[in-house]
Amino acid sequence: MQFFLQQCLIGITNGALVALVALGYTMVYGIIRLINFAHGDLIMLGACLALTLVTASGLAGTGTSATWLGIVLLVAACGLFCGGLNVAVDRVVYRPLRSAPKLAPLVSAIGVSFIFMNVGLFWLGPADRSFPELLPTTNLLGGEGLQFTAKDLLVLVVVVPLMAALSLLVRCTRLGKAMRAVSQDPTAAALVGVDVDRVIAFTFFVGGFLGGAASVIYGLYINTISFQMGFQNGLYAFTAAVLGGIGSIPGAVVGGLVIGLVRALSSAYAGERWTGAIVFAILIVILVFRPEGLLGRSTREKV
Amino acid sequence: MMGRNWQKTDATGAMPVRALVAAFLRERWDLVALVLLALAPLVIPALGGALGGQVTTLFIYCILALGLNVMVGYTGLVHLGIAAFFGIGAYLCAILTVPMYPFQMRFVTAALVSVLATAGVGLALGAPTLRLRGDYLAIVTLGFGEVVKVTLRNLEQITGGMKGLNPVPPPGAGLVVGGLDLGRAFAVDPRWFYYLTLLALAGVVVAMRRLENSRLGRAWVAVREDELAAAAMGISATRVKLSAFAMSSAVAALAGCLYAASLSTTADPNAYDFNRSIMVLCAVILGGLGSIPGTLLGVALLVGFDTVLAPWADSWIQQMEVNPSGSSLLSFSGWRLAIFGLALVLVMRYRPEGLIPSRRMAAELHKAHP
Amino acid sequence: MNVRFRVVAPVVALLMGLAGCRPADPTLVKIVSSLPRTGSAKQQSDTIVGGIRMAIEEVGGKVGPFRIEYLDLDDSTAAAGQWTSEAEAANARRALQDPDVVAYIGTFNSGAAKVSMPILNLGDLLMVSPANTAVGLTKPGLGTPGEPGVYRPTGRLNYTRVVPADDLQGPLSADWAKKRGVKKVYILDDNEVYGKGIADLFDERCREIGIEVLGHDSIDAKAQEFKSLMASVKAAAPDLVYFGGTTQSKGGQLAKDMAGAGITALLMVPDGCREQVFIDSAGAANLEDRCFVTFGGLPPEKLTGKGGEFVERYRKKHGELPEAYAVYGYEAACVALRAIRDAGTKDRRAISDAALALRNFDGALGRWGFDENGDTTLKTLTVSVVKNGKFEFEEILDANAAADAAAAP
Repeated sequence: MQFFLQQCLIGITNGALVALVALGYTMVYGIIRLINFAHGDLIMLGACLALTLVTASGLAGTGTSATWLGIVLLVAACGLFCGGLNVAVDRVVYRPLRSAPKLAPLVSAIGVSFIFMNVGLFWLGPADRSFPELLPTTNLLGGEGLQFTAKDLLVLVVVVPLMAALSLLVRCTRLGKAMRAVSQDPTAAALVGVDVDRVIAFTFFVGGFLGGAASVIYGLYINTISFQMGFQNGLYAFTAAVLGGIGSIPGAVVGGLVIGLVRALSSAYAGERWTGAIVFAILIVILVFRPEGLLGRSTREKV
Repeated sequence: MMGRNWQKTDATGAMPVRALVAAFLRERWDLVALVLLALAPLVIPALGGALGGQVTTLFIYCILALGLNVMVGYTGLVHLGIAAFFGIGAYLCAILTVPMYPFQMRFVTAALVSVLATAGVGLALGAPTLRLRGDYLAIVTLGFGEVVKVTLRNLEQITGGMKGLNPVPPPGAGLVVGGLDLGRAFAVDPRWFYYLTLLALAGVVVAMRRLENSRLGRAWVAVREDELAAAAMGISATRVKLSAFAMSSAVAALAGCLYAASLSTTADPNAYDFNRSIMVLCAVILGGLGSIPGTLLGVALLVGFDTVLAPWADSWIQQMEVNPSGSSLLSFSGWRLAIFGLALVLVMRYRPEGLIPSRRMAAELHKAHP
Repeated sequence: MNVRFRVVAPVVALLMGLAGCRPADPTLVKIVSSLPRTGSAKQQSDTIVGGIRMAIEEVGGKVGPFRIEYLDLDDSTAAAGQWTSEAEAANARRALQDPDVVAYIGTFNSGAAKVSMPILNLGDLLMVSPANTAVGLTKPGLGTPGEPGVYRPTGRLNYTRVVPADDLQGPLSADWAKKRGVKKVYILDDNEVYGKGIADLFDERCREIGIEVLGHDSIDAKAQEFKSLMASVKAAAPDLVYFGGTTQSKGGQLAKDMAGAGITALLMVPDGCREQVFIDSAGAANLEDRCFVTFGGLPPEKLTGKGGEFVERYRKKHGELPEAYAVYGYEAACVALRAIRDAGTKDRRAISDAALALRNFDGALGRWGFDENGDTTLKTLTVSVVKNGKFEFEEILDANAAADAAAAP
């Protein structure tokens, strides 16, 4: 039983991280129907910056208030960096393609992801890099039983409020209303006075900011970064977004948690070597029975 | 647009001749290319060496991309797991030919069985998932690709795990025709594979051309353009999509068989991962969806860059000794990813419909922006 | 048309250039290496290439009547980020095609060797691998059925390696664990030719000598973390965790997550992890005094004679101790140079035969030779432990001593 609980705990924490990355996919997809393949690599660049900043500032220690402050600043810096970069990429690469065939921006996104990877290669070098341990590794639950440390807590503490804030932003603000309008019909939105390009840019900024936050948390939680990390990160996160119903914010979170749990439990009970196959097999089965994802709304085809 | 040159007459009278030649090249580019490619090994000795092997690989990718084009180009279904079918084809072909198994068929028989069986796998995946729309179908194909890769890796007793299955005997192993041991000839001189894959590619191009204008081909396009309207015309969208799925898988499997035979191994399952699917998808979109010459050009540029140009540029830089310290900033491979990515971005920026769009696509785009 | 010609002409010129139309120069021989130069194994291949270059520099770029040219080929591609069969096959064909090439140093990955061996065998081109350890490449009866014959279509040998194969490292590691008092092990591998091969041999030997194997699982080398796996390992409570794999296949992350899960067992890894990058990526604190690394031959700092001189020169040139693989790169190049000198001709077959006939070679790794399979006769293995963020020599394991011990009742 304790073993099962431990695996669930790991699954939920991992899943929360996946969900954080998935939010970035789902935001951008929701508004311009683009699978932003470069999102994973954007996070990789964020992690590069985080590592550089940590090394340069000599930030270290184990849970003093200075460390916590440092982490908040780190999240802000990497969030702004990734958000800004995402907006810039949208301006230069995706905006000219708004009316292009549907798959053209997809290929561009793949291209951007390759460019990011090359930048990461020069930034980090080809090998895995260790991200310093900034948080105490003592077990918060005490004793020899379940293992739950400060970094596990950090992941949960960050993801839940972020998701709530994001939902509020989309549902209750003017900007959120504009985002929903653009998502439903950009032309009609423009007709009623919504600055479509600006709303899209804002969405890219929010998606990028979340990616930046994810990169810091990733570094603190996984403790290893490399120029290739974006790919696998992106693969699972994108899968989570689709599983939950792409474009839906709670969907991305639910999808992330499901993927995290399936991964942990299949590693525990079926063997680590089958994890990848089981995650995707379950994904296929779920989609066969719920073609719009777990929380997605069924869209009727326009005639 | 170029079609107008046809009728344009020139005061000097020289223009019609040039226009005629141009028109001939445009209309029969395939024949010209085929003749040039068929003659190339006689003129370029390098094709008997490493380059021959690289070009063979290129041809194989062309076949794979044409297979993907059926799904993505003609029928408009995004497929992110074509490499899985490529891999299933390669492994089936290997299982039917390697000495480890009792079958040990001839290459042609093995390829045929493998192509049919892979088409069956395509149907089996397609049947339950075809009602998924757009990106949901894409993710299912992606997931299927991952499942196949992991399974190939883990079923060690059957697939040899990461060792792969080898040696896959060359076509004609053990056949002696006119004193020429075919198996050895294939193993020693890459030109044999060059011609075999060229022949297969030509066959696939002809078949695709025919399909394009057949009842089925037009049904694919109809479903892509408007499923509802197509259904109103009495086309069964499910059946049409399924046939595209099966055709795509079959052609990919053919490419897989040739791949395994030309490398004499299935390689390891990582050779059939998501990266490969993405690469081929990029080639198809870059070249022009639904366009046969576009697809071929896309593959030649993308795969050619990675397998022919980059290694060549690297060793050239080395021989020029401009980079004695071996810094990755000064080596070509250090920049490969960026060059590759930049090329994708730029082509999509300036030719979003692809380098050689199909006529229908070009017309559509024209209509969209008056 | 003009425009078209302007495009076509350079392409044709390029193809002609690729064709290598120059006539063969009788005083020039080329040595090529085929290693993963892009992607995650770059660091290790850099050190190997460094070793090769030093060996060639040392003889002044000349051997016997020949000038030497060295070409460093890449068997990985940007898209894959690791070695690919196509790139390896292309390198092998390219080497075979060029009449000046007389030695092929490579490959790094055992899987890649399986692709190029049968191609190079057709031309009797000498192949010296600085890093392949999969047993099936050379040893009859130990790999899959048909190995190694399938890699030798001509029936002649052309492949040699300067590193001891895994049939030494895997079992000796298990013997060492037993001696250390280990009773229960948990075995992990990276599911690749090298890592899984060595882990299987370790597994087999453990069962033979009565160490309990609690579990044996493979990881996905592309996974990002192994927290759930480590929770399973922790629940099994082993004395030692063995990981068959390399730094590139997430050795560092595995060690990190092992410490993170609160597992206090020892960790043992093979030579694929014996590089500073492994310690850096795992975090030195996570390995301190608990991580043991086996390695064929002696570690750089223990080398004497020629090896000691090499280490000294390397340190002078690069300002740091060479990584373990640099010595193997150097030794592989020395073998190739020696074989060219012994043969005295540009005949590939003669050079291959000269290499395979090497006995009592006084090299950087000690005094050794090739056996009838092209395997090194070197049978020493060292165990190092991580101390203060560095590999520190622990003890020498000798296969002959182990064989004696096994024979004794």
